[in-house]
Amino acid sequence: MMNDVFSTLRDVLSAVFMLSGSLLAVVSSIGIHRLGSTRARMHATTKPATLGVLLCAVGAATQFVDVSDIAKVLVVVILQLVGAPIGAHMLGRAVGGK
Amino acid sequence: MKLVVTICLGLLVLAGALGVARIVRRSTLGDRAIAFDMLTSVLTCSLLVSAGYLRDGLLLDLAIVLGLLGFIASVTIARFIEARDGSE
Repeated sequence: MMNDVFSTLRDVLSAVFMLSGSLLAVVSSIGIHRLGSTRARMHATTKPATLGVLLCAVGAATQFVDVSDIAKVLVVVILQLVGAPIGAHMLGRAVGGK
Repeated sequence: MKLVVTICLGLLVLAGALGVARIVRRSTLGDRAIAFDMLTSVLTCSLLVSAGYLRDGLLLDLAIVLGLLGFIASVTIARFIEARDGSE
Protein backbone atom coordinates (compact mmCIF):
# COMPACT_ATOMS: atom_id res chain seq x y z
CA MET A 1 0.00 0.00 0.00
CA MET A 2 2.70 2.47 1.07
CA ASN A 3 4.88 1.33 -1.82
CA ASP A 4 2.02 2.05 -4.20
CA VAL A 5 1.65 5.60 -2.90
CA PHE A 6 5.37 6.26 -3.36
CA SER A 7 5.30 4.86 -6.88
CA THR A 8 2.38 7.13 -7.85
CA LEU A 9 4.06 10.13 -6.25
CA ARG A 10 7.26 9.45 -8.16
CA ASP A 11 5.37 9.11 -11.43
CA VAL A 12 3.51 12.40 -10.89
CA LEU A 13 6.74 14.22 -10.00
CA SER A 14 8.52 12.81 -13.01
CA ALA A 15 5.57 13.65 -15.30
CA VAL A 16 5.50 17.29 -14.16
CA PHE A 17 9.23 17.73 -14.79
CA MET A 18 9.17 15.98 -18.18
CA LEU A 19 6.13 17.94 -19.38
CA SER A 20 7.60 21.29 -18.40
CA GLY A 21 10.90 20.42 -20.09
CA SER A 22 9.13 19.45 -23.33
CA LEU A 23 7.00 22.60 -23.23
CA LEU A 24 10.16 24.70 -22.94
CA ALA A 25 11.58 22.94 -26.00
CA VAL A 26 8.44 23.82 -27.99
CA VAL A 27 8.60 27.44 -26.81
CA SER A 28 12.22 27.74 -27.95
CA SER A 29 11.42 26.24 -31.36
CA ILE A 30 8.57 28.73 -31.81
CA GLY A 31 10.96 31.49 -30.75
CA ILE A 32 13.50 30.80 -33.50
CA HIS A 33 10.73 31.31 -36.06
CA ARG A 34 9.11 34.41 -34.64
CA LEU A 35 11.95 36.54 -33.30
CA GLY A 36 13.55 39.13 -35.51
CA SER A 37 17.34 39.12 -35.26
CA THR A 38 19.98 36.43 -34.88
CA ARG A 39 20.82 37.55 -31.36
CA ALA A 40 17.16 37.46 -30.35
CA ARG A 41 16.79 33.95 -31.79
CA MET A 42 19.88 32.90 -29.85
CA HIS A 43 18.21 34.21 -26.70
CA ALA A 44 15.14 32.08 -27.55
CA THR A 45 17.13 28.85 -27.94
CA THR A 46 19.89 28.92 -25.34
CA LYS A 47 17.95 29.50 -22.14
CA PRO A 48 15.23 26.89 -22.71
CA ALA A 49 17.90 24.46 -23.95
CA THR A 50 19.68 24.49 -20.62
CA LEU A 51 16.60 24.56 -18.41
CA GLY A 52 14.64 22.10 -20.58
CA VAL A 53 17.39 19.48 -20.51
CA LEU A 54 17.75 20.06 -16.76
CA LEU A 55 14.01 19.49 -16.18
CA CYS A 56 13.89 16.38 -18.39
CA ALA A 57 16.99 15.05 -16.58
CA VAL A 58 15.35 15.51 -13.18
CA GLY A 59 12.22 13.82 -14.51
CA ALA A 60 14.28 10.87 -15.75
CA ALA A 61 16.39 10.68 -12.59
CA THR A 62 13.31 10.26 -10.37
CA GLN A 63 12.49 7.05 -12.26
CA PHE A 64 15.84 5.37 -11.60
CA VAL A 65 16.79 3.53 -8.42
CA ASP A 66 20.36 2.60 -9.36
CA VAL A 67 22.99 5.11 -8.24
CA SER A 68 25.10 4.59 -11.38
CA ASP A 69 22.16 5.61 -13.59
CA ILE A 70 21.57 8.75 -11.53
CA ALA A 71 25.29 9.55 -11.85
CA LYS A 72 24.96 9.29 -15.63
CA VAL A 73 22.04 11.76 -15.55
CA LEU A 74 24.26 14.06 -13.49
CA VAL A 75 27.00 13.83 -16.13
CA VAL A 76 24.46 14.80 -18.83
CA VAL A 77 23.36 17.81 -16.78
CA ILE A 78 26.94 18.96 -16.09
CA LEU A 79 27.90 18.60 -19.77
CA GLN A 80 24.87 20.66 -20.77
CA LEU A 81 25.47 23.33 -18.11
CA VAL A 82 29.13 23.71 -19.13
CA GLY A 83 28.87 23.14 -22.87
CA ALA A 84 25.76 25.10 -23.86
CA PRO A 85 26.87 28.54 -22.59
CA ILE A 86 30.37 28.16 -24.08
CA GLY A 87 28.99 27.09 -27.46
CA ALA A 88 26.39 29.87 -27.43
CA HIS A 89 29.02 32.44 -26.46
CA MET A 90 31.30 31.40 -29.33
CA LEU A 91 28.40 31.43 -31.79
CA GLY A 92 27.31 34.85 -30.55
CA ARG A 93 30.82 36.22 -31.03
CA ALA A 94 31.02 34.65 -34.50
CA VAL A 95 27.73 36.05 -35.86
CA GLY A 96 28.52 39.52 -34.50
CA GLY A 97 25.84 42.20 -34.51
CA LYS A 98 23.96 40.86 -37.53
CA MET B 1 2.74 7.50 -17.27
CA LYS B 2 2.46 6.18 -20.80
CA LEU B 3 0.09 9.03 -21.78
CA VAL B 4 2.41 11.65 -20.29
CA VAL B 5 5.44 10.24 -22.11
CA THR B 6 3.47 10.15 -25.37
CA ILE B 7 2.52 13.82 -24.94
CA CYS B 8 6.13 14.74 -24.06
CA LEU B 9 7.56 12.94 -27.09
CA GLY B 10 4.87 14.51 -29.30
CA LEU B 11 5.84 17.99 -28.08
CA LEU B 12 9.52 17.22 -28.64
CA VAL B 13 8.80 15.95 -32.16
CA LEU B 14 6.93 19.21 -32.84
CA ALA B 15 9.92 21.20 -31.55
CA GLY B 16 12.31 19.15 -33.67
CA ALA B 17 10.16 19.60 -36.79
CA LEU B 18 10.10 23.38 -36.28
CA GLY B 19 13.89 23.37 -35.83
CA VAL B 20 14.42 21.34 -39.01
CA ALA B 21 12.07 23.73 -40.85
CA ARG B 22 14.25 26.61 -39.66
CA ILE B 23 17.40 24.88 -40.99
CA VAL B 24 15.85 23.95 -44.35
CA ARG B 25 14.28 27.36 -44.93
CA ARG B 26 16.52 29.96 -46.51
CA SER B 27 18.52 31.54 -43.69
CA THR B 28 22.08 32.49 -42.76
CA LEU B 29 24.71 30.04 -41.52
CA GLY B 30 24.55 31.52 -38.02
CA ASP B 31 20.79 30.93 -37.81
CA ARG B 32 21.27 27.35 -38.97
CA ALA B 33 23.96 26.79 -36.36
CA ILE B 34 21.61 28.11 -33.65
CA ALA B 35 18.79 25.85 -34.87
CA PHE B 36 21.19 22.88 -34.92
CA ASP B 37 22.22 23.67 -31.36
CA MET B 38 18.55 23.62 -30.39
CA LEU B 39 17.99 20.34 -32.24
CA THR B 40 20.71 18.55 -30.27
CA SER B 41 19.22 19.74 -26.99
CA VAL B 42 15.73 18.60 -28.11
CA LEU B 43 17.20 15.18 -28.98
CA THR B 44 18.91 15.01 -25.58
CA CYS B 45 15.56 15.83 -23.94
CA SER B 46 13.77 13.07 -25.85
CA LEU B 47 16.51 10.55 -24.97
CA LEU B 48 16.16 11.49 -21.30
CA VAL B 49 12.35 11.15 -21.43
CA SER B 50 12.63 7.75 -23.12
CA ALA B 51 15.28 6.63 -20.61
CA GLY B 52 13.03 7.64 -17.72
CA TYR B 53 10.07 5.78 -19.19
CA LEU B 54 11.94 2.59 -20.13
CA ARG B 55 14.27 2.78 -17.09
CA ASP B 56 17.11 1.94 -19.44
CA GLY B 57 20.58 3.16 -18.53
CA LEU B 58 21.93 2.66 -22.04
CA LEU B 59 19.94 5.64 -23.36
CA LEU B 60 21.69 7.84 -20.78
CA ASP B 61 25.06 6.96 -22.35
CA LEU B 62 23.65 8.07 -25.68
CA ALA B 63 22.49 11.34 -24.09
CA ILE B 64 26.03 11.98 -22.76
CA VAL B 65 27.55 11.40 -26.21
CA LEU B 66 24.94 13.64 -27.84
CA GLY B 67 25.57 16.46 -25.37
CA LEU B 68 29.30 16.34 -26.09
CA LEU B 69 28.69 16.15 -29.84
CA GLY B 70 26.38 19.18 -29.80
CA PHE B 71 28.99 21.23 -27.93
CA ILE B 72 31.78 20.24 -30.35
CA ALA B 73 29.53 20.94 -33.36
CA SER B 74 28.55 24.45 -32.25
CA VAL B 75 32.16 25.35 -31.37
CA THR B 76 33.36 24.07 -34.77
CA ILE B 77 30.70 26.03 -36.70
CA ALA B 78 31.51 29.17 -34.68
CA ARG B 79 35.22 28.87 -35.48
CA PHE B 80 34.37 28.27 -39.14
CA ILE B 81 32.17 31.39 -39.33
CA GLU B 82 34.87 33.48 -37.63
CA ALA B 83 37.58 32.24 -40.01
CA ARG B 84 35.39 32.80 -43.08
CA ASP B 85 34.31 36.32 -42.08
CA GLY B 86 37.87 37.22 -41.10
CA SER B 87 39.35 36.36 -44.50
CA GLU B 88 36.83 38.40 -46.48
